Amino acid sequence: MKKRIVITGMGTLNALANNVPDFARALQQGSCGIGMINLFDTTGFRSQTGGQIKNFIARDYIPRDFSIKRMSRADMLSFAATLEALRDAGLYPPPQELKEEIGLAIGGGAGGLLEAEEFYEDLLKKSDRNAKFSTLSSLFCASSADRIASVFGFAGPKSTFMTACSAGATAIGYARDLIANGQASIMLAGGVEPMCRLTYAAFNALKSVDPETCRPFDKNRAGLSLGEAAAIMVMEEMETALSRGAKIYGEVLGYGITCDSFHMTAPDEQAWGAVRSMQAALKDSGLSIDEIDYINAHGTATPVNDVTETKAIREVFGRRAYLIPVSSTKSMHAHTLGASGSLEGIVSVLALRHGFIPPTINYQDSDPMCDLDYVTTGARKANLRAVLSNSFAFGGNNTTLIFGRYTERGASHE
Amino acid sequence: MNNNRQTDNARCVVITGIGMVTPIGTGKKEFCRRLFGGETAIEEIKSFDTSTFGSHLGAEVTNFNPRDFISVKNIRRMDKISLMTAASARLALEDAGLQITQENRDRIGMMLGTAFGATDVTAQFLETLFTQGPASVNPILVPNTVMNAAAGHTSIELGFRGINTTVTHFAVSAENAIIYAAAEIRRGTVDFIFAGGVDILSKFYYESLAKFRSLSPRDEGSEACRPFDKERNGMIAGEGCGIICMESLQSAIARGRKPYCEIKGAGMGSSPTKPTGWPEKTDGIKRTFSRALRNAGNAPNEIQAIVATANGDRILDSVEAQAYSEIFDCAEKKPLITSFKGATGESFSGGGIRTCALALSIEKNILPPVVGLINPLQPLPFIVGKKKELEINNAALAGISFGGTYAYLILGK
Repeated sequence: MKKRIVITGMGTLNALANNVPDFARALQQGSCGIGMINLFDTTGFRSQTGGQIKNFIARDYIPRDFSIKRMSRADMLSFAATLEALRDAGLYPPPQELKEEIGLAIGGGAGGLLEAEEFYEDLLKKSDRNAKFSTLSSLFCASSADRIASVFGFAGPKSTFMTACSAGATAIGYARDLIANGQASIMLAGGVEPMCRLTYAAFNALKSVDPETCRPFDKNRAGLSLGEAAAIMVMEEMETALSRGAKIYGEVLGYGITCDSFHMTAPDEQAWGAVRSMQAALKDSGLSIDEIDYINAHGTATPVNDVTETKAIREVFGRRAYLIPVSSTKSMHAHTLGASGSLEGIVSVLALRHGFIPPTINYQDSDPMCDLDYVTTGARKANLRAVLSNSFAFGGNNTTLIFGRYTERGASHE
Repeated sequence: MNNNRQTDNARCVVITGIGMVTPIGTGKKEFCRRLFGGETAIEEIKSFDTSTFGSHLGAEVTNFNPRDFISVKNIRRMDKISLMTAASARLALEDAGLQITQENRDRIGMMLGTAFGATDVTAQFLETLFTQGPASVNPILVPNTVMNAAAGHTSIELGFRGINTTVTHFAVSAENAIIYAAAEIRRGTVDFIFAGGVDILSKFYYESLAKFRSLSPRDEGSEACRPFDKERNGMIAGEGCGIICMESLQSAIARGRKPYCEIKGAGMGSSPTKPTGWPEKTDGIKRTFSRALRNAGNAPNEIQAIVATANGDRILDSVEAQAYSEIFDCAEKKPLITSFKGATGESFSGGGIRTCALALSIEKNILPPVVGLINPLQPLPFIVGKKKELEINNAALAGISFGGTYAYLILGK
């Protein structure tokens, strides 16, 4: 009998909201979190906009009992999201008897680069090379998980994923497998991505950023909007959750992962990798295509991604592709790279829990190459059974997750 | 009964190929000779100037010509870390006697561990950005600044289309990748998976290690790598890549390949530790080691050898030695302990190279000595001086990381 892995807590900070309840409201209202960036100087870049987290003062989120010395923005964001998720799951403060069996799987991206960049600029411009190397102690992404585990004394497995835009989704899939294999009872899984100059410069140099606000699936889409986020889920086996009386948000039903083996930055236009990723997740979940009621698309708004993904969805779902609402919430919270798979995981679970389909905003003109139902006129009420969420990344890494509404008998037996 | 055996064989994960680009050799023949010969690759760093730093030694990859392994079409897009990875994976592929075809490529994956990634490219990219401005940034460099570039380039070069993931968790990056990869074979996501670790030396990275006071000579004494030695005074930085090819025993039998060894089990864990500090207590090691043994179905006295993490650091080596002396306190026969860091230097995701080495040890029943060890800090059965011959049925590979993360693998015949 396959173990059922459920979600019992969530926490997030992103361009739309600094907690899960506000995030759910913003998604239902179709708000836009993309605007001018002031985290660093954007003079000279192709774009000046992005999905920056608003009003983040670490001490508003992290109690004084915890030191934030030498923490990077990524460390603080992930710590704040973890606190929300633990509280939400009724695990704060974490009970002593569970600490041994709690692990972390985090999708990373730029890690502590924002701070490290200041240090490096200093280093280049000072001749004595006495810049603060200690800044680098939180440069690498694994630092976020290390700090969380050390503060709480979690003794379970710890791993950080670096598959760029699919990292957050991969972390959730991996966490599910660790629990299923009995290597941990409870996993904190998710992703964190801070904005930083390197990422901003890189996407600008590739000309994959829309100078205005991204318009997924729109005929005139001109690229993505970069964002930042921390998104953490508490995952555990259903039995564990029930025995401690936790509320259950939803269930991780399927996980598929493939590689294009085609090009480092461009998706394979045949969409074969994306097709196999969705098929693998469906097979893993045991669901049929008729049981998927909403697709949370990768939908970056680059000219090629949106066409390729549309094609892949048609290939996997056949005629049903036209009956399933597909939306890109990146139009609201921007593309949060290493965190996006887990942030959109939270979107998927909220959609199941609250019974709505979040919209694709900023959409104006239809593209004959993108001919699905992209939910362009605001959120819809809907009773969803299962949601499929795609994350495709640099290096041709594709990850698909399927989340189900929690019922005692399981989503596939309704 | 027969059916049971088939299920068991399908779930039994074995190593059937190894490939490496290391300071002590590229490819298994040279690697094997220098490893078991007790040689070291540690010498003055030549690829960049260390004159302004307090340390000057390192273990650099020298005998490596990427053109021998990588197609002309892809080579120009790859950076140093990707070249080492693609070459190691090709060597492992050839060693496993595997042909990539249209039919099997969707079922071949890669799981790579890297602690620090392409520190050379990232530093270069930022230098251009900060000294010449956003307009001068070279878009060709962009893909190589992401940590999953090496695995991405390798899958393009070799044609792998199954699961492809990059894992980072400091000094257990490669171990985590291998453990995760073995689970994917058991889960049946792919038929073959290439896993291991890679890290490279760069000037900026070396300077950072020096500023963090990780490198020998940390306090006093001469600069050298001396794992488990009373006189140890810091690690020596190294680089390199080690990749293993894994498949189920069932698949290996069907292909008529004799595996090096089986991946019997693994354990992972954490313990509270200062950021960037090595663990100062033994509890994390002991807990993780016992999880690995339980997962493998072995008792402590069934382990004949341990490949340690020890790299010459004052804290790490003493905590690791202390943990083994506590674990095997009452054991009649304690396992032999070795560490390769005196030969290859510390490359943090060297768990890939170390797994390749341990696979060879199990195949040949030989354990290499701890190069650089003269006066052991504890009376434990360290291999001092020269290699030892020993029938190895079960061995442990220790992964301990600063920041308090652990990953132990149990490999068996």
